[in-house]
Amino acid sequence: MGPPPVVTGISPKEGPPGTRVTIRGEFLGTSATDLIGLKICGCDCLLSAEWKSKNKIVARSGPCKGRGDIIVTTRFGGEGTSTVQFRGYHESIGPVKESAVWVEEAAPPSLPWGRRPMSPTTYTPPDPLGLSTEGDDCKFPEEELNEMFPDGSGKLSDDNFQPGWYLLEHHSNTSYEDLKAGMVFLQRKVESQKEGQLSFLKANTGAVMDQLDRLVLLKNMYEEDERKNGKEPLPSLQAAIEESITLADSLFSEILSRKDNADKTREALSLLTRHKFLFQLPASIDRNIRKKEYDLVVNDYTRVKNLFGNTDVKLFQKILAEIDKKIEDLKEKLYTRMKTMPINVQEQTKYIRLLISLNWEGDAAWVAITSRKEYLMSLMNKVKDHFKQKEEQEANEKGATSPASSPGNPPPRSDRQTSSYGNNFQQEMIIAAVELFSEHMRACLLSPGGGKLVPTDTLRVRLVANLRHLREAYDSLLKLDLPSQPLSIVEKVIFDYRVHGMTVFLQRAHKRVKGLAEKETWKIEEYSDYGAITNLPHLLETYLNEAFAAIHKCVVTSGRRESPLLADNSEPAAILQKHIQQILLAYVTVLQDLALNHEDQEFNNSNLSVALEQRAEEGAGAGPGAQGAQPAAWQLRLLLAGANAAYTRRHTLAAIATAIHNFGFPKQTQALQATKEALSTLESTIAETYLEHKGDPLVGTIEPSMDMGRHKTDADAIVDDARPYVYEIINNLIAVDSVSGAASSRYVRDICETVCEELARLAALGTPGAPMSPAAAFQARLEYTLLRLACAEHLTRKAENHLMEALAGIPPIESEEEKKRMDTIVQGFKKRMELQLASLNCNMETV
Amino acid sequence: MKDVCSCLEPRVKCRTMSKKPAAQPTLHKVIMVGSGGVGKSALTLQFMYDEFVEDYEPTKADSYRKKVVLDGEEVQIDILDTAGQEDYAAIRDNYFRSGEGFLCVFSITEPESFDATQEFREQILRVKNDENIPFLLVGNKSDLADKRRVPLDSCRERAQHWQVPYVETSAKTRDNVDKVFFDLMREIRSRKSDDSRATNGDVKGKKRRKIKCAIL
Repeated sequence: MGPPPVVTGISPKEGPPGTRVTIRGEFLGTSATDLIGLKICGCDCLLSAEWKSKNKIVARSGPCKGRGDIIVTTRFGGEGTSTVQFRGYHESIGPVKESAVWVEEAAPPSLPWGRRPMSPTTYTPPDPLGLSTEGDDCKFPEEELNEMFPDGSGKLSDDNFQPGWYLLEHHSNTSYEDLKAGMVFLQRKVESQKEGQLSFLKANTGAVMDQLDRLVLLKNMYEEDERKNGKEPLPSLQAAIEESITLADSLFSEILSRKDNADKTREALSLLTRHKFLFQLPASIDRNIRKKEYDLVVNDYTRVKNLFGNTDVKLFQKILAEIDKKIEDLKEKLYTRMKTMPINVQEQTKYIRLLISLNWEGDAAWVAITSRKEYLMSLMNKVKDHFKQKEEQEANEKGATSPASSPGNPPPRSDRQTSSYGNNFQQEMIIAAVELFSEHMRACLLSPGGGKLVPTDTLRVRLVANLRHLREAYDSLLKLDLPSQPLSIVEKVIFDYRVHGMTVFLQRAHKRVKGLAEKETWKIEEYSDYGAITNLPHLLETYLNEAFAAIHKCVVTSGRRESPLLADNSEPAAILQKHIQQILLAYVTVLQDLALNHEDQEFNNSNLSVALEQRAEEGAGAGPGAQGAQPAAWQLRLLLAGANAAYTRRHTLAAIATAIHNFGFPKQTQALQATKEALSTLESTIAETYLEHKGDPLVGTIEPSMDMGRHKTDADAIVDDARPYVYEIINNLIAVDSVSGAASSRYVRDICETVCEELARLAALGTPGAPMSPAAAFQARLEYTLLRLACAEHLTRKAENHLMEALAGIPPIESEEEKKRMDTIVQGFKKRMELQLASLNCNMETV
Repeated sequence: MKDVCSCLEPRVKCRTMSKKPAAQPTLHKVIMVGSGGVGKSALTLQFMYDEFVEDYEPTKADSYRKKVVLDGEEVQIDILDTAGQEDYAAIRDNYFRSGEGFLCVFSITEPESFDATQEFREQILRVKNDENIPFLLVGNKSDLADKRRVPLDSCRERAQHWQVPYVETSAKTRDNVDKVFFDLMREIRSRKSDDSRATNGDVKGKKRRKIKCAIL
C-alpha cells in the first residue's frame, strides 16, 4: 500500500456540472490504471477522469450542487483526502442572462422557445415567488449559508429544502414588499394546482400529447423489432457475441504471437548487446595477444571466468571453450617465452605473473628460476669456451693484438631472483651456480699467466678488469644477503686471484731482471760514491717499483669483506718475500754474470803487459760481434759491475726497502739481508778478480825488468836515471788509474800496495845475495824514492810500510855529492815525468 | 420570515462544529490578484508543486491548500488563485472577502498590468475595509529582465506609497517564489496574533466583527 492520495489543488474551484476541472495533489496514482475512483462533491467522475501524472488529474465535474471534497481513490493508496473543495452550482442560462462562464458545448443545447428546459442538469424551476432573480449579482456567500443550515439545501426539489436558505440565496436583496407580493403569488399558485387533474392537463396539453406520441412510437418500434428478430432476440445476440469473441480471440492471439516473436528477437538482441563482451572476447584476446598486451587478456579472462564460469548456457560454454583454448595457447606461448633465454628478469617476472594469474598448472617461478640457472650455467660455459678459443686463436697469430675485452662475466641476476623466491632448494642451487661461476672465473683468469708471457699492459688491463668484474659480482651477491657459503667461495676466488696477480707481476719482474744482462749497455750513467755505475741498479729499482705499483694497484687493495692480502705470516706474504728475494738474487746473478762471463776469454792474454793487453783487447773488440757491441773494456765492465753492486747494496736496496714500506708491504728484511750478503760477496769477488787480472801481471813484470837492468848495474856505472821498470811501473799504474779511476780509485791503491809489497820482497831478496854496491844502492834508493813520489797519492799505510821496509834494506847515501846527484835526478825525473805524475795524482781530484 | 428566524438555532450548532477541527494547523488564506497573464497561476503552481506551466490557460478561480512549515510551525496555506480577466471582475468581491492576505501580482514586462495593481489595491481595501491588510506587491517575470518595461524605481515608489513590501519574482526560475508566500504568511500570522490580543477590547478587532454582524 502506498500513501493515500491527497488533493491539494482544484482549478477551478467551482463551476456548473460538466466543468473541466484540473485536480492537483500528491500520490494521485502511479498510472492511469492505478486510478480507480474519483468523486467530486460525491459525484463519481471516474469516467471523465484523465490521469496526467501522479500530481495531476483532469476531469469533468458531475451533476452536483454545493460544496464537496474531491476524493481520489488509487489501487495502491486507497481512498484519499482533500484539502480543497469544489463547489458545484447550477446556472440557468437564458437569452438575457449574462453568464460569466463559458457554457460548455457538452451541455444540453438550450431548448427551443416556449419549452421549459427538461434536462435535470439544467432544469431550474422558475422562481416560486414569481419574482425575477435576474440582476441579482450579489450572491450570498455559500459558506455562510452552509454554516447556517448545515443539513439544509436551497433546492426546491430536495427533501431537506430550507426555505430560509432559498430566500437568502435568491432574494437577499429583494424588498419586503416584493417578498409579500411573491407570497401572494405563491399562495395563488398553490391554490391553482389544487384545481385538479383537468386543469393540469389543460395547462400541459402540449406536453401530454407529446408524451403520448412518443409512447406510440416506442410501441411501434418494439413491435417491429420483435417481428424482425423473433420473440427471443437473445440467442442470436449470444451467437453474435460468441462469434465476435472468437474473432477477437483469434485476432488477439495473432497479435500476441507476433508480440512474442518480437519479444524473443528483442531479447536475443539485448542478450547479444549485454554479453557483447563475451562474444567479442576471442577476437579481442587475439588482438591483445598480437599487441602483447597480456595484462588486458588476463583481466578479460578473469572477468569472463567470474561472469560466465558456471554458466549453463550452451552458447556461452562454447565460447568459453574457445577462449580457454586460446588461453591455453597463450600459456604455452608465455611458458616458452619465459623459458627462452636470454630474457631480462623484469620480462621474465612479467611472464611469471601472467602465468600465475592465468592459473598455469605448475610453479611458474620455479621453472623460470631453474631455466635461468641452466641458462646461466651454459652461458658461463660458453663464455669460458669462447674465451679459451680466443686465447688459442691469439696464440696462433703471434703478435696479434691481445684480446681487448676481458672474459665475459654474467651478472648473477638469477640469484637475486632466486632469493626473492625463497625456498629450501635455493641454497644448493645458488651454491652450484656460484661454484660454477667461480670455477670458470678461476679457470679463465688464472690460465693465461701459466702458458705464455702476455704483454704487460694487456695483462694489467685484463687483471684489473677481471678483478673488477669479480668484485662487482661479489658485491651483487653480498647485496642478496646470501648465506656465507657461496660468498666464501667467491671470496676465495677473488683472494686466489689476487695472490695469483701478485705472483704474476713478481714473476714478470723476475723475468725482466733476469733479462737485464741483455739490456746492459755499459754506458756510465753517473758517478756515485761507489764509483761509476751503469743504469742497471736504476733499472732494477724501476722494475721492482713497477711491479710493486702494479701489485698495489691491482690486487692489494681489498674490496668489501675481503681479507687483506698480505697479512702477517700469511701465505701470500711468504710468496711475496720469496719472490722479492728471488728477484734480487737474480739481479746479483746477473751482475755476477756480467762481471765474470768473459773471464775465460780474457785469461788467454792476461799474462801480457798492459799495453799489449790493451792492444789485444782492441783487436779482440774488433773481432767477435758480441764483444763489438760492448765497446767497454772488460776491466771497465768489471769495475762497473763492482760499482753497481756496491751502489745497489748501499743505495738501491734502501730505496727498495722504502718503496716496500711506502706500498704498505710487509718488510722484506730477510730478502734484503740475503741480497746484501750476496752483493758483498760479489763485490769482493769482483775486486779479487780485478786485482788478479790487473795487479798480478804488473807485479810479474817488475822482477824481469829489474833483472833486466841489474845486469847493467853490476858495472858500477854512475847511475843517472832510474831503471826502465820504474817507468813501466809508473806507466802501468797510470794505465790502471786511467781505467779504474773512472770506476774506483780503490783498485789503484790495491795495486800500489801489491807493487810496493813486491818491491819490498825483491829488495829483501836481493840484499843477502851480494852486498849492494854503492851505485846499486843509490840506484835502488833513487828508484824507490821516485816510485814513492809518483805514487804518493795512492799509497796506503801498508804500501808505505813496504816501501820503507825496502828503503831500509838499502844502505844509506853517504856522500853529499851523491845526495845532490840524487836530488838532481829526482828533479829531472819530476820535470820529465810531470805529465805522468800529474795524471796519476790529479785523477783523484778531478773525479 | 419564521423560517429565517428559526435558522438562528442551527447556526450556533454550526459554529461549535466548525471549531471541532481545531487540531488542524492554523490556516492562512492567501489570494492571488492581478491582471490576466501576469503569472498568478504560474507562481501558485510553482509554489505548490514546483512546476512551471508553459501553456497559458486563463484561470477562473482555483483553490489550493497544503501544509507548510512556517518558521518551525506547521501551518496550512490556502491559496485562492483568481481570474485576472476583466470578465470576472464582478465576482471578485466575493473572493476578496474571505482572503487574509493578498499577493498583488503584475508583470514587469507589461506596464498595463502594473497600472492595474492600483485598481486591485483599491478594490481590496474597499472589500476588506482595512488599510493594513497583509499585502505584497509582486513584480513577476524577473527572468525577462531584457524585456523589462516597468522601471524598478516606479515599482518601489508605489510600494513605498502603499507601505507594502515589493518583491520581484520569477515563476520560471522559482526566484523569490517561496519568499513572497512565506513573507505574506508571516504578515498574516503577526496580524492574527495582534487580533487575538485585540479581542480583549481592541478597536481593530471590533471593526472586523462589525462586518460579519452587519451581514447577519
